[in-house]
Amino acid sequence: MDSKITFTVNGQSRTVATDPQRPLLDVLREDLQLTGAKYGCGEGQCRACTVLLNGKAVASCMTPVAEADKQTIVTIEGLASGDKLHPVQEAFLAEGAFQCGYCTPGMILGTVGLLNELPNPSEEDILSRMQRHLCRCCHYQKLLKAIRRAAGQTAQSAAPK
Amino acid sequence: MSTDFKPRVPRQFIGGYRPRIDGVEKAHGRAPYADDEISERNYPGLLHARVLRCPYPRARIKHLDTTKAAALPGVKAILTYQDPEVVRLRPTNAGWTDAVDTVSYDKMMWTKFRDRRVLGDYGTWAGDELGVVVAAESEMIAEQALRLLEVQWEPLPFVLDPLDAMKPGAPVLHPQIAEHNVLPPDPVGGPDVFLSKGDVEQGFAAADVVIEMDTSHHNPTQGSLDPWCCVADWEEGRLTVFSNSYAADQTRMHVSQMLEMPIHKVRVISKYVGGQFGRGDTGDQPFFIFTALLAKKAGRPVKFKHTRRDSFHDTRQGALYHCKVGATADGKITALHFKSIGDIGAHADHSVFALKFAPAEVSDAALAPIPNIKMESYAVYTDRIPGCMMRGVGNSQFNFIFGRMIDGLAERLGMDPIELALKNFGHAWGVCPDKSLTAVLETGAARIGWAEKRHKPGQGPLYEGAIKRGVGFSMHPGWHAEWQEERRGQVQAKITLHPDGTVTLDAPTVETGTGSNTCNVLGCAEALGFLGVRPEDIRWVSTVDTDNGMRDCVQTDSAVSFLQSEVLVVAAQQLKQKLLDLAAPVLGVPADQLTVTGGQIHAPGRSLSVKELLWKGDLVPLSVMVSRRPSGTKTGVPYIASFAEVEVDTGTGRTQVLKLVIINDCGTVMYASGAESQQIGGQVMAMGEALTEELIYDPVRGVPLNFNFIDYKMPTILDMPAIDPVLLEVWRGAGEYGACGIGEGTLTCSPRAIANAVYNAIGARVDELPLTPEKVLRALGKI
Repeated sequence: MDSKITFTVNGQSRTVATDPQRPLLDVLREDLQLTGAKYGCGEGQCRACTVLLNGKAVASCMTPVAEADKQTIVTIEGLASGDKLHPVQEAFLAEGAFQCGYCTPGMILGTVGLLNELPNPSEEDILSRMQRHLCRCCHYQKLLKAIRRAAGQTAQSAAPK
Repeated sequence: MSTDFKPRVPRQFIGGYRPRIDGVEKAHGRAPYADDEISERNYPGLLHARVLRCPYPRARIKHLDTTKAAALPGVKAILTYQDPEVVRLRPTNAGWTDAVDTVSYDKMMWTKFRDRRVLGDYGTWAGDELGVVVAAESEMIAEQALRLLEVQWEPLPFVLDPLDAMKPGAPVLHPQIAEHNVLPPDPVGGPDVFLSKGDVEQGFAAADVVIEMDTSHHNPTQGSLDPWCCVADWEEGRLTVFSNSYAADQTRMHVSQMLEMPIHKVRVISKYVGGQFGRGDTGDQPFFIFTALLAKKAGRPVKFKHTRRDSFHDTRQGALYHCKVGATADGKITALHFKSIGDIGAHADHSVFALKFAPAEVSDAALAPIPNIKMESYAVYTDRIPGCMMRGVGNSQFNFIFGRMIDGLAERLGMDPIELALKNFGHAWGVCPDKSLTAVLETGAARIGWAEKRHKPGQGPLYEGAIKRGVGFSMHPGWHAEWQEERRGQVQAKITLHPDGTVTLDAPTVETGTGSNTCNVLGCAEALGFLGVRPEDIRWVSTVDTDNGMRDCVQTDSAVSFLQSEVLVVAAQQLKQKLLDLAAPVLGVPADQLTVTGGQIHAPGRSLSVKELLWKGDLVPLSVMVSRRPSGTKTGVPYIASFAEVEVDTGTGRTQVLKLVIINDCGTVMYASGAESQQIGGQVMAMGEALTEELIYDPVRGVPLNFNFIDYKMPTILDMPAIDPVLLEVWRGAGEYGACGIGEGTLTCSPRAIANAVYNAIGARVDELPLTPEKVLRALGKI
């Protein structure tokens, strides 16, 4: 049975009538055309589908849309202010922390979620949280640098690599 | 950690550190991947397809009843092995070419190995797509429909191990092709003994030392995060296929030939791909064909997309290698004999390329100074996931024995393996010691601390009661110099100069993450230096569309980065001439008396800006399209190497890699940030295949157990060592830049470097990948 589910996505109120058990990822991608969150595994193991649910990073492929009812969601499309990138996006760009870019929306929102909870994370915090995200082509060394940069832990003046 | 690379020849744009041209788009999450684009919005009436997969390691469909599935609401079309349009399809192979060129059915590399039927009734691995494909209103309905199929299976005896498969009486997978499961000789790979130089027996007789060894490389998978996805859309007898294949021309040729359609009626489009790594090879996948036929039957566009489980679709070939080497007491190798038994899985596809073609290339390069060489290989069918292309195809497996041979022989001779390598390897047009190899190995040794850290195997200090450390390396000749790319044929690029001085660059290649698009833009800006064009003035056309009439330069061999830039040098010269021809009547001076620099056209005594000139005219852009075949000038090969430092816990058997130094002689670094990203990024795959990734089969039921990201253990941020990427420019290739591809080979040497370092640490050999704690403990005699 379909249910009416209303939530705020990227600052806009949206209502969908759908199976409440449908993955949030499918609703975002198919019903709302927000394709920034990616399908990578459908089992919460790669986190390419990460979005923010009330500021917290969640795997949207494992989140039934019912859990988003009356909640606030931010996807990668809603992170920047227009063309002005969010500081985490800036940091990823500056450190060259991606290549193919497929895991990147999830990585960026995972980092935003981490910094929302722990604005000044230790290396252990970063590693234990971000080990949930898989990247096959870029390598995590640059990712770690990007996260530190986003957390203001490195000199911003370093030349982009 | 890494130090910035300094170019041999300073250039304005080529060779620098800078963000990717698609960086902002990707950071925004706006880069369009196939799965994003193939939606109801773009393809109204879109249906979703799911294909039946063989539940047994080997089985035949005896009977099929689709009545219940067809009656499920939302099911729109079902195509089966009994439909005439399927029955009439010719048998095929999923690796018509290694993608550097475009080939027809008759010219495919492996004419003797057409062991695939599109949607046939016979499955040879648990996961083989066969029999039935369903189109429905949603993926979920299509999946449900598959469960409603009434299939009567005839499970058949199977074999999972290549050595078992070679035994007399083993169940034969494809009797029409390989009577005893071993692929027969073929025109590309050659006979079983595919290389014979000199006389190895004489070479061994002349040696002071002869040793033998065995290694085993397994079959890791590409693990691209972006699963295979395509749509087939018919309109007025014309077919459009949009997919995340990286070979648009070859996909078009494949579809056109298999469906016997004129080429101009097939249009293939590709945009961004979320990681390629050789996956599924070239667009010759049978699923393109059944998706097209299904869409035709349904009368609506059909999307076919892999789940994560389906994405475990092809792998590197497992390979058992045996090597016998003879050398004189002073370290000159007198004879080398390599023999491999390849586990190619259920379909031949491209496996002979890995087992014969790639090692033969090494023999032309690194092994050229060795007087006596014999190479033989046996490619064996098993009822497992098929081998195909994977980053470093064949070279990874070969390096695992090659690097073992160097380390083992040096130990036996009491030599440093670096010294042994320099004494013996180079290339056919040079002398030993090879300059490139010397630079690569000396740099690696210095960066890892070879002299200080290396000790006698197992004789180093003990840390914390149980931990031992060691260092090791492995080296390999590069295989992406320009002359090695000659087989590609024409590489095309088109520059369009707009009246306002901005540029559109059409250098068709599918962006898979390698950064070659940034190289192209930098190469274009560099070549158009006379216009004063900056990279931000250039629009790179990111969509590859066969309808534009240009050939795509396939993102294989990591060579696009420089091949297209070489074309752009020629295109820029032609554009310059066109510009001067245009300026001559305006300035009233013959074109040969004009020059152009910094966007200004100079005539004796006066000048005119290019923009002014173009605005004076009819505002038609100036375009130049150039085709150029890669130069075949034999420039030798550049070298690559990995150096590893490891820590092995002799109590638990766990290996931890502390540091990897990755050295590439690039000839010319086209784009330093991108090249380093390839070096660093390649180690994710290298670490996985060396230590943690492994496809596991249930030996009793013959089914895979870990086709998911939980149990197939790809490295995470927690698993990675410090990586020191080093870019060198020592060797020089042909052309303006003299560059080579590097991305593919960045992981080739690392597993062997790690294995040699483990040996240096514990004094016991583990020569079977992955290097699991269990194998380490067994080597130590502890279990």
